[in-house]
Amino acid sequence: MMRFFRLYKTFVVQQLKQLMEYRVDFLTGATSFLVGQITNIVFISIIFSQIPHLQGFDYYEIIFIYGFSLVPKGIDHLFTDNLWKVAWFIVRKGNFDKYLTRPINPLLHVIMETLQFDALGELLTGIVLMIIASIKLGINYRFGNVALMLLAFAFGTVIYAAIKIAGAALALWIKSSGSILQVFYMSSDFAKYPVTIYNSAVRNIITYIVPFAFTAYYPASYILRGNDPWFCFGVGTAIAAVLLTLAILLWNRGLRAYESAGS
Amino acid sequence: MSNMIQVKNVSKEFKKVIKEPGLKGSVKSLFHKKTEIVKAVDNISFEVEEGEVLGFIGPNGAGKSTAIKMLTGILTPTSGEIIINGQVPYKNRKKYVKEIGVVFGQRTQLWWDLPLSETFTVLKEIYQIEDKAFKQRMDFLNQVLDLEPFVTSPVRTLSLGQRMRADIAASMIHNPKVLFLDEPTIGLDVVVKDNIRKAIAEINKNEKTTIILTTHDLSDIELLCKRIVMIDKGKKVYDGDLDHMKEKYGKMREIHITLKSDNDINKLSFAEKFGLTGDDIDIALDGKKAVVKFNSSKAQVSELLSYILSTITVKDIAVGEADIEEIIRRLYKGNENDETAHGNAAAVEA
Repeated sequence: MMRFFRLYKTFVVQQLKQLMEYRVDFLTGATSFLVGQITNIVFISIIFSQIPHLQGFDYYEIIFIYGFSLVPKGIDHLFTDNLWKVAWFIVRKGNFDKYLTRPINPLLHVIMETLQFDALGELLTGIVLMIIASIKLGINYRFGNVALMLLAFAFGTVIYAAIKIAGAALALWIKSSGSILQVFYMSSDFAKYPVTIYNSAVRNIITYIVPFAFTAYYPASYILRGNDPWFCFGVGTAIAAVLLTLAILLWNRGLRAYESAGS
Repeated sequence: MSNMIQVKNVSKEFKKVIKEPGLKGSVKSLFHKKTEIVKAVDNISFEVEEGEVLGFIGPNGAGKSTAIKMLTGILTPTSGEIIINGQVPYKNRKKYVKEIGVVFGQRTQLWWDLPLSETFTVLKEIYQIEDKAFKQRMDFLNQVLDLEPFVTSPVRTLSLGQRMRADIAASMIHNPKVLFLDEPTIGLDVVVKDNIRKAIAEINKNEKTTIILTTHDLSDIELLCKRIVMIDKGKKVYDGDLDHMKEKYGKMREIHITLKSDNDINKLSFAEKFGLTGDDIDIALDGKKAVVKFNSSKAQVSELLSYILSTITVKDIAVGEADIEEIIRRLYKGNENDETAHGNAAAVEA
């Protein structure tokens, strides 16, 4: 474990140096993300200025859920972005071999290699929105709900990471799985809104199949409304654990099936 | 001497989707997949002693890369057994790769945007090398591969030759017992190739590193390897020393002639006089310079020389040994004829 952190530190230091090499690129990336987020918020504002309530949720509650959803998404984005590259082209172009000739777990190696600093824009937007909404809604933060919220950020991140690991693992069989992963990943957009607005089919899918509802709505609804904490956090943790286990199993099977590419 | 590498009856099969040509074929294959099993490596066995440099050769698509990938633990064989340095590469991968070094000439394992020295810093962490050992190692690699002039430059600015030296150094940083070099001289000019060969020879001599080298450049083989294993269409077709192969597959000799008059060469008839036909003879004419390649087991050099000299007037004449390329080309040709006779047994409809 110590070794893992030392190694991670080394990789991160390299990344930072690399970032200095491409400052413009970093600034552009971070800015574009920020702009994207602002556009989204403006869009939500416009809609809610017309419809002040959505299934009983008012404007700032929606903003709170939206901001909440960005935190685990941003954390995952920060740490595991390299999995996208595995899904899109690392395997297809035969560059995955490298990870198999090093004495490190290939999955950890892939993850360690990249810190996607663009994600800080997402993370920051999420936190700012949550703070604004909390003030407007007068949310009372105590030790208990803050701890549960941090737990929710943790398992929310795990849910995102697990789906990306599974999606990237498919590339080990089919060479390029970027578009499949994208379909699943995009469904996280459903999590930005209260799940009560969807019909039961969609709701069940984003609760149990691609459980993005646990990355935002369920935990946020506990903070906002005091909804059943056992379901919101207990089931959330369990689902995240199961999903991660399945994803890692799939990844390991993929490694055995891996056929490399080119010469 | 103990065997560092043991390969026993190793095969690797791939499932290959057969696509009909065109968009229509692509769409069709989406719904109805026809696959066949391709044997990329077919029942190969060989052994390599500690400290040996083995040349692993064969034409494109022969299965060289697949074999190397199995040896390095990247791919799992479909059947057979590999033991290297006392370990099974694909089973105990993490432990195994600590003691091997791999260079894929066409890909780099260096950190592209950072100075070369940073790559070594990261590799030092990856392989958990002590500071003192690391320093010694860098000194040695510096001396052999002359990295000093570009160690602080970003990798993306290095020339191909520098990059290759750096890649070899990177694969050697943890003092591996076995080194796999896949096309280490590809795309390099003659002088750089020569430097790399010298470095490889020196590493092998100093460290007793067992080296497996794949290459298309046969000078690499001639200069570095005493022994070669050749594979073609997944099968091992030769295993032995280089000299023996030259004898076994015919000793080709060359006679270089500078003619006085262009069409003099047509006055020579080797087929009629010596019975040299088909593969046993090849005449190349470039202006007034002609090269006659022939199989010296079918005709004597001295007989050919006296025949040439008595038939035409020449400005200059010299005798040389044909290079290994020629021999290998002939060997491939022989195998191709075999294949057509027996049909392709490797492809099975699934």
